[in-house]
Amino acid sequence: MFENAEIALDELPGTDRLEWRALDSRYVRRLQIEALITTAVIAFALLVLQFAPLPFQIRWPFVAAWVLAIAFGLSLLIWPLISVPGKGYAIRDKDIVYRSGVLWQSVTAVPFNRVQHVETSSTPLDRRFGEAALQLFTAGGSGGDLKIHGMPSDVAEKLREFILEKAGADIEHD
Amino acid sequence: MTDGADWHRTSPFGALFYLGKVYQAIARNAVQSLAPLAAFLVAFKGDPMNRLLIGVGAFVIATVVLAFLNYWFFRYRLAENSILIRQGVLKKRQLDIKFERVQAVNTQQNLVYRLLGLVTVSFDTAGSSGQEGYLPAVRLQLARDLRDRIRRVPKEAIVEQRQVPPAAAVKPLIRLTFGDIIRIGLSSSRVFLLLVLIGPIGERVSQEFGDRIEESAVIEALGEVQVGLMAGTAFALVLIFGVLLLLLCISIIGAFLRYHRYELVADEDILRSTGGLLTRHEHSVNRTKVQSLHATQNVMLRVFGRFRVKARQASSGRGGRRSDFVVPLCTREKLADISDEIFGTEFSGLTLDPQSLAFVHVSPYFLRSRIVLAGILPALAALIALWPTAGAAALLVLLWIPLCALGVWRVYRRYGVMYGENGLALRSGFTGYRVVTWLHRKVQRISLTQSPFQRRKHLATVRVYLAAGPAVKIPFLDYDTAAKLRDYVLYRVESSRQAWH
Repeated sequence: MFENAEIALDELPGTDRLEWRALDSRYVRRLQIEALITTAVIAFALLVLQFAPLPFQIRWPFVAAWVLAIAFGLSLLIWPLISVPGKGYAIRDKDIVYRSGVLWQSVTAVPFNRVQHVETSSTPLDRRFGEAALQLFTAGGSGGDLKIHGMPSDVAEKLREFILEKAGADIEHD
Repeated sequence: MTDGADWHRTSPFGALFYLGKVYQAIARNAVQSLAPLAAFLVAFKGDPMNRLLIGVGAFVIATVVLAFLNYWFFRYRLAENSILIRQGVLKKRQLDIKFERVQAVNTQQNLVYRLLGLVTVSFDTAGSSGQEGYLPAVRLQLARDLRDRIRRVPKEAIVEQRQVPPAAAVKPLIRLTFGDIIRIGLSSSRVFLLLVLIGPIGERVSQEFGDRIEESAVIEALGEVQVGLMAGTAFALVLIFGVLLLLLCISIIGAFLRYHRYELVADEDILRSTGGLLTRHEHSVNRTKVQSLHATQNVMLRVFGRFRVKARQASSGRGGRRSDFVVPLCTREKLADISDEIFGTEFSGLTLDPQSLAFVHVSPYFLRSRIVLAGILPALAALIALWPTAGAAALLVLLWIPLCALGVWRVYRRYGVMYGENGLALRSGFTGYRVVTWLHRKVQRISLTQSPFQRRKHLATVRVYLAAGPAVKIPFLDYDTAAKLRDYVLYRVESSRQAWH
């Protein structure tokens, strides 16, 4: 039966006071290891450029390059400590809400009945930490579909099935 | 079902369509595809004229044969709820276009086809992996049948059977007059873009021309350098004026080619436009599949008091533009007709008209934030960078700040939000106006973002993601309003059982 009750705006379930679930506790560590690997690769490249007997001479301010590389590496190491605690997600009956951002903080809500498909993915490093990324695809080419990194892989898997079950349900094709 | 029996070829004139496609493909990869021809021209010994003749002849024959083969291997079959297409000369492709996935059936008819009563049908299937379906050169009747069948598929779910009114009884919503088409040509934004590019070139030419005249013996004899300068300037003016006139003419001719005898017809839940001088284009859009409606008004259109309307359908990212349904010109009164036709009663309380008083400004802190970010900070940075070399003259860059502030003020005045029960309208613009509207229940996801400054002032920027086009950004709303808007939109989406596409 069709109903059309009046809606009191203030009584709508808000997304402000949610119980945020944090990401996997080892996610910070995982990001830092990734940072170390990246820094090591850059350092190696710099070393090769500086000391290897190359057929051509590079006249670079190597000191500046090293300072930059180290600063970059350090920032990669420290950034997860700042950014990860701010990230979190909340699963409700009809949608998933994800918050992120340090300076520009954003909260994104994806209703399950608009989800086209769900994907979990994991890099080798992810698997080593037992983590996975959960990605929700909605229609439209507006890019940046919701992707949540650093979930425990079993949680991600469970969520994938849970959301898939709800996705696209409840829609009558007219 | 037995294979082969129901498979049809299209009219042999379908080869024409493929010939066009072959040339398009060649033009797109000009280097690779013309390499054999070039190699042949170089390798073949003999009279250069003969070479060229044989080369071009071989090229033409090869493309014609290729087009014919494409036609020969193209077969289609109409099934209960889909159309099956088999195509490909070497790489065979099977396409199964389900009617329920088809957004719209569009047709194109060039001069040859029009004489023969043939059309090329293309299917808009949103969300598919870029597979396009074409039926080249089929009879007009088949296209009509297809459209009727495709429309009937979802209809069968509804018990109520409405009598389809005969085509003649459908009154066009919009019919463009001769003057309207000239207005379209005059207001094409491309003309002005080109003018901006051509302006400096014209200046350059006039300078050189002036220099030449100055050098010439006649002027030297007269000893009047002034004449040279004046001639140069006059020449530049004539040149720029001429180019502008030419561009306008081209633009108007283009408008006639595309929109001659343009008609917009509302036929049940389908909007259909036809028009075109040589090639007649027929576009249709199913109103339930429209995700957002856009009304734009650039400077010229403002002078004419007209609008351009665009309906966006769900798209798979790339090539989304092609599936836009465009009404090139309409009056203010027709704006409401179009929006009512597409969004129906759900659109009550909303409008596409940028002059509407129901638009609410965003927070005035928008001004402060933008002036600081786009005006003061860059100006100060430039000042510091230029100070050592330019000295006090560098202070001139500070003029950027009031200029920028004026611009920001204008943008701020144009930003407006209109809250409707079932949807939202957002107005923006700088020189012109742009209004975009959509229904809440079609929203795909929604996000709230706060910069540090916005957190301090209790503000937020809302981004609404629709199934068509980029996210719509509503900047600098009061945080409570933004949160309420989000909660309400989520409520509408999650409680809606209607299909959004």
